[in-house]
Amino acid sequence: MMRVRLLALVLGAFVLEAGGQRGVDVGAVARDGRVYVSAKLTGDVLSGLEDAIQAGLTATITYEAELRHPVSVWFDSTIASARVAASVQHDTLTRRYQISRTVDGRVDDSRVSGDRADVARFVTGFDRLPLFSTADLDPNEEYYVRVRVRTRPSTTWFFWPWGRDAASGVARFTFIP
Amino acid sequence: MRETPGPPTSLRLSAAAEPAAWRRRPFRDNPLQVLLVIFALVAVLAGMMTLLYRSSRLAPDFLSEFVLYSLSIVDLTMLVGLVFFLARSVIKMLVERKRGLPFARYRAKLVLALLGMTIIPAVLVLFAGSQLIFNSVDRWFNAPMDEILESSQRIASDYYSDRQRQVSGETARLARALGAMDLAAADLRPIRDALSEPVTAQRLTLVEVFRAVPGLDGTPQAVPVVDVAAASAGAARASSGRLAARAAGGEPDSWAREPLENGGELLRAAAVVRKGDGTAAGVVVGSVELTGDMALRARRMTKAYESYSQLRALKRPLTGVYLSFFLMVTLMILVSATWMGLYLAKRITRPVGLLAAAAREIGAGHFDHRVERETADEFGSLVDAFNSMADELATNRRRLEQSSIDLERKHAEVEERRRFTEAVLDRVATGVVTIDPEGRVTTVNPAAARLLGLGADAVGRPAAAVFAAPDLQPLAALAAGAYVPGREWPAQEIALTREGREVQLALAATPLHGEGGRAPEGRVLVVDDITPLIRAQKVAAWREVARRLAHEIKNPLTPIQLCAQRLQRQFASSSDQVRAVVDECTGTIVGEVEALKTLVDEFSQFARMPAPTRVPTDVHQLLSSTLALYDGLFQHVRLETLFAVSVPPVRLDPDQIRRVVINLVDNAIEAVGQRGLVVVETRHDPALGVVRIIVADDGPGIAPEDRDKLFMPYYSTKKRGSGLGLAIVRRIIAEHGGTVDVGPNEPRGTRFVIDLPCGDADTGAPRETP
Repeated sequence: MMRVRLLALVLGAFVLEAGGQRGVDVGAVARDGRVYVSAKLTGDVLSGLEDAIQAGLTATITYEAELRHPVSVWFDSTIASARVAASVQHDTLTRRYQISRTVDGRVDDSRVSGDRADVARFVTGFDRLPLFSTADLDPNEEYYVRVRVRTRPSTTWFFWPWGRDAASGVARFTFIP
Repeated sequence: MRETPGPPTSLRLSAAAEPAAWRRRPFRDNPLQVLLVIFALVAVLAGMMTLLYRSSRLAPDFLSEFVLYSLSIVDLTMLVGLVFFLARSVIKMLVERKRGLPFARYRAKLVLALLGMTIIPAVLVLFAGSQLIFNSVDRWFNAPMDEILESSQRIASDYYSDRQRQVSGETARLARALGAMDLAAADLRPIRDALSEPVTAQRLTLVEVFRAVPGLDGTPQAVPVVDVAAASAGAARASSGRLAARAAGGEPDSWAREPLENGGELLRAAAVVRKGDGTAAGVVVGSVELTGDMALRARRMTKAYESYSQLRALKRPLTGVYLSFFLMVTLMILVSATWMGLYLAKRITRPVGLLAAAAREIGAGHFDHRVERETADEFGSLVDAFNSMADELATNRRRLEQSSIDLERKHAEVEERRRFTEAVLDRVATGVVTIDPEGRVTTVNPAAARLLGLGADAVGRPAAAVFAAPDLQPLAALAAGAYVPGREWPAQEIALTREGREVQLALAATPLHGEGGRAPEGRVLVVDDITPLIRAQKVAAWREVARRLAHEIKNPLTPIQLCAQRLQRQFASSSDQVRAVVDECTGTIVGEVEALKTLVDEFSQFARMPAPTRVPTDVHQLLSSTLALYDGLFQHVRLETLFAVSVPPVRLDPDQIRRVVINLVDNAIEAVGQRGLVVVETRHDPALGVVRIIVADDGPGIAPEDRDKLFMPYYSTKKRGSGLGLAIVRRIIAEHGGTVDVGPNEPRGTRFVIDLPCGDADTGAPRETP
């Protein structure tokens, strides 16, 4: 085991952490002039953060949502983007969790909970958040919302600045006004 | 045009522009920059060491995020740099080796040796250190420590939970008790009494009652009604209103912790007071105070547990930090070793390479090439020494060139002198033979070869062998004779027979002295053909004899003749017998006297031959008229002419030349015994400028040994003759500036050849007539 870790150390800069391919179920609905986005992490996302959360560290799961328009012969164009960050901090003395969610830096929800299942639901996704406006969308055009998830604190051997998304997912929809 | 000697260009430039050159030097050759970089690296390393030293006091997420990120970036950068550095170096070394650059193999070996000396221990240390870090980190988070800290945290948490449940239970009980009371009543004593009991029993420290009223937005608001506090309760009641509002708003789990100024904490719980119909009438907030020591200890235990747990949660990033640092140091060592290897290799091989290239340049003749001194160390001294050597070489080269020019000039002069001497020797009639100190013939000029009968192989052979012939023995003796300083060898005269003719030679030997009167470097034999001189001397002697004979003999001849004639007249009357004797004797005397007169006349003519009166003469006409005298005289002699087509007029004395021709033709007719063929031939040799007259017969010929004597006075092969004919012929021809020679005729007979200078230009090739 130690040799494996040592090998991972030597080649660590080029090796993605195992489990980095977890997915995100993304839902997108355009309604009432807004694009409502839902995201739900699939897989054991919190396993890597469980120890950090229980140790009282503030854990943050950041959802980078991008509203994009596919382009056939070129890179897809990004129409808008939003950042949803769910944070949780455990009070080890009282065994309660302080959870909060911000949308583009604005506090959307904040509360204290003693229920780990509730906390897990809170941080592993969000439901129908109106992240984008449909003002810039063309009718009957196909769009998709890509959500990439990052977690911190990092629990990897090496800090790899590129491509360290914990998970990502895409939801396509046709904008019908 | 020669360049003026001066300091080499590179040296002048390097001396004047040294600061600029120093600034333009590459990084590796700039010690100041190298020192600055090393100092910066050491500073970075010291900073990283300090950071690691204080890592225990830094936030774990700061370590796992910022520090790990920084170290990872540094490691990646150094790794990429090292790979690039090594790849570049390897490619460069391969290219240099392929191109056969000097010291490429040595540089590669040096770099590989330094890399080998550093990579192996560095990688070993990296592995061992990594293993040590893994073991150390694993040892930090061992099971007993987990148990102790977790138990401590559980104790503190359980204590809090117990107290919280106690407060919550008591508060809920009070809320149920207050459900039957009117919280809006003016008399609050019943309520206060109900609240006093748990405070008095110290189950609660503070009890506050809020009345629920609907707010402007419909949400319930909590309005304080009454509170009961123990004596020890502090004044911190700020959070109770918010807690009551949350509870009134329906939040199920309403409790809070509030720190106190005395270091303790206030545990608070809220319970909704409901009326009989279940509607919320108000909120009871019960609080219990945890003393400072207890709260502090609980917090410390929790803090310790959290710190420990955080470290354990961030074990991998923290391990990564240490390993990254360790890796960074290792990479730094490797990069430094690689760079240092290349630097040392460059530093060692560059000046040597420059010196080698400069040596090649100088070897190619570029003596002004210099090596710029780049360092002040031993290599710099070596460069200085090389440049000094190049200066000396350049100076010596210039001197050599000057000497070479002088030598070439002197050589040209000597060569010119030698050619002149050779030309003189080739054209001079005097034979010259030089002999080296070892007795070998070194030079034989054409005259010597001709006079001595030497071949071209004589040069280089010992003189004794060259002059081995018996008639050349005097020469061999001269060549071998010992040299006595101050004494010359005596001249000698020898007679040789060459081509059937006797040749009189005068020999003289002279030692060849070197410069400064050194020992002789050989000797010179000088051979002069004195045959004409000898002949002239003999002719002169004979002419004197003839003159005296003519003078002494001619004078008494007339008295003798007169006396004989007188005797004849006196005895004319004598008896017949006497008269017959007298007549016979006097007749004999008179006849012999006449013969003597004739002889004396020839002698006199030979002795007093007048100078020729030369006029331009047609030779053919002269010959034709002369030969016409023989027409019909000799029936059995065929006299033929073979004249050239045209010969130029020759200035000659016609009478004397006619006498020459008659003399030769008479001799030829006599030689053939008045029965044979006599041919008179003419030729014109424009190259020599002579007209040649040839008189040939087919008689018995003349023996070779007699040919040269034919022209001597009083030498005759005939029984009767004065022996002066051919002598006169030779003298006449000589006084005309020509030559006469005798040789064998083909197929037989004798052939006399007379060359008379005609003194005109070339008039064309001769054309003979039959």
